[in-house]
Amino acid sequence: MKLVVAVLKPFKLDEVKEALKTLGVQGMTVTEAQGFGRQRGHTEVYRGAEYEVDFVPKIRMEVVVDDAQADEVVDAVVRAAATGKIGDGKVWVVPVDQVVRVRTGERGRDAL
Amino acid sequence: MHVIPYPTWLNPGDNTWQLVTATLVGLMSLPGIAVLYGGLVQKKWAVNTMLMAFSGFAIVLIVWVLWGFNQGFGNPIGGGGHTGISGFFHNLWGKPSPIANHAGEQNQAYLPEGTLVPFHFPTASFAYFQVVFAAITPLLFLGSVLSRMKFKAWLLFVPLWITFVYTVNAFLLWGGGWWAHKGAVDYSGGYVIHLAAGVTGFVAAWVIGPRLQRDRQHALPNSLPMIMVGAGVLWLGWNGFNGGDPFYAGVDAASAVLNTNLATAAAALTWVLMDMWFLKQRKPTLLGGVNGMIVGLVCITPGAGWVNGYGALLEGVIASAIVWVAWNHLSKVRPFNRVDDALGVVYTHGIAGLVGGLLVGFFGDPKMVEYGCSGANYTAVGKCGGFSVSGLFYGGGWHQFDWQLVAALWVIGFTAVASFVVLQVVRVITRGLREPDEVLEVGDLAIHDEEAYPEDRFAERVGAFAMAGIAVGEPSPPLASEGRQVPAGSAESSARSSASQAPEPTGGR
Repeated sequence: MKLVVAVLKPFKLDEVKEALKTLGVQGMTVTEAQGFGRQRGHTEVYRGAEYEVDFVPKIRMEVVVDDAQADEVVDAVVRAAATGKIGDGKVWVVPVDQVVRVRTGERGRDAL
Repeated sequence: MHVIPYPTWLNPGDNTWQLVTATLVGLMSLPGIAVLYGGLVQKKWAVNTMLMAFSGFAIVLIVWVLWGFNQGFGNPIGGGGHTGISGFFHNLWGKPSPIANHAGEQNQAYLPEGTLVPFHFPTASFAYFQVVFAAITPLLFLGSVLSRMKFKAWLLFVPLWITFVYTVNAFLLWGGGWWAHKGAVDYSGGYVIHLAAGVTGFVAAWVIGPRLQRDRQHALPNSLPMIMVGAGVLWLGWNGFNGGDPFYAGVDAASAVLNTNLATAAAALTWVLMDMWFLKQRKPTLLGGVNGMIVGLVCITPGAGWVNGYGALLEGVIASAIVWVAWNHLSKVRPFNRVDDALGVVYTHGIAGLVGGLLVGFFGDPKMVEYGCSGANYTAVGKCGGFSVSGLFYGGGWHQFDWQLVAALWVIGFTAVASFVVLQVVRVITRGLREPDEVLEVGDLAIHDEEAYPEDRFAERVGAFAMAGIAVGEPSPPLASEGRQVPAGSAESSARSSASQAPEPTGGR
């Protein structure tokens, strides 16, 4: 099993979610995140005082999938999230040792 | 010797009431509309919305004193004594002129057309009372165009709209213009303000184009408590809106205030109950209650002091039911489903104002006397005028309804065409009416460098400090200089970052 993690532009979440649903992915976890890579942050000005904000609001999406499906999930995320502009985000994949469904105690692929 | 520090024509009670009611109406704009709309929009649009409200209010005040007041309430542009179609154009507008000098502010207020009873306060009171009405009107139609209208275009549209649209309607119905001559009535602005705001908002939303598709799909309000604050200020502020319009702190002011609250209570409850009975979810909602409340306030406005309490209650129920149906069903058909009127101003102000104005033709009660030393309730006193309205249900026949209908058609037609033309002029001058899409994607931060709920953990002060008492900023942590996008070929040029630089002296901006 693999954990696919993606950090994305927030407004792309809907499209990514739909793309993964189409692939039959059963669920995902999303958190609001702050991050930066090559994307420039922005400046905010309050009462004449200038503040620099390097971190940009992002969505961090996590989904655990079967080994066989990992590549197509990654491809789908990349396709759906890309705008071609800087700051589109990253996707990475890490191996997962074990997964347990809390309600039933099922383990491994059955728990996905 | 007993000294009275004001002129003999001034009545301190009337003057006080006029200034108090004017202030109440002003509070409906700031903070009322600002926080109501500021709370109704998405988080990323709250600042833009509030600043548009804020700046619009300020612009109208200045326009009003320099030329607008006399366009709405001054001498008719063509002089008196004309009839027929020529009379219409001679009585279309007032001559523009400022009122900022001592006489303009301190002389006794009057209308060139004459009033039934002389005003007992100075022009400054009258002009301020009238300007807070003028100022709230653009703020109302802001609800149709927010979340995409260019800020610069707004700054120009507001003064031009007040000059070429608002003052015409105000003069025609209030300033002694043609419709007033004919007997059409508008107690406090159901037509001049709310119908006109609904029409302008709808036309402007159509001309400017819709919000971003993404914004429309995620158009959740950012703060229901803030909406409740704005709504509450609107309701009670409306005591000034309708209570101040008799221009005397007398009997009719009291009736108008009570009727306003009756209609509003009835309308708010009607909307909540209709949500519970007829909506798919069958649940009472706060925002439904706020919609109903606004409809009640708007619908009673054209006749607040001319209907009695039963009329007010019925108007509230009828208008709320009609607007509820329009909101939930008319909105799905053309042209309503083709125009992105963001907050639905055409329903809660446009249709509600129209319904209220027409209902005066039914519920006007001739025994509800607006001014009077004569009339049904004032038989013992000498004659000094008296004004009331007789609707169909009170023996007045269709006469009043007919003129209410004609005046409504005028307001709709004129306001739509004139607003359209003004928008085309603005479009040329400000090179477009919309912010570009990439700005719309970001919202407040892209337009103002401010956001409604800033996250201080990620913000770091840079540059010189404007105020004493704060030391020069620590250099940024090393990671701030890494990975930021840098124009190709240029060094890590940003003076605002980097631990590699020694702490700069002040003046880094």
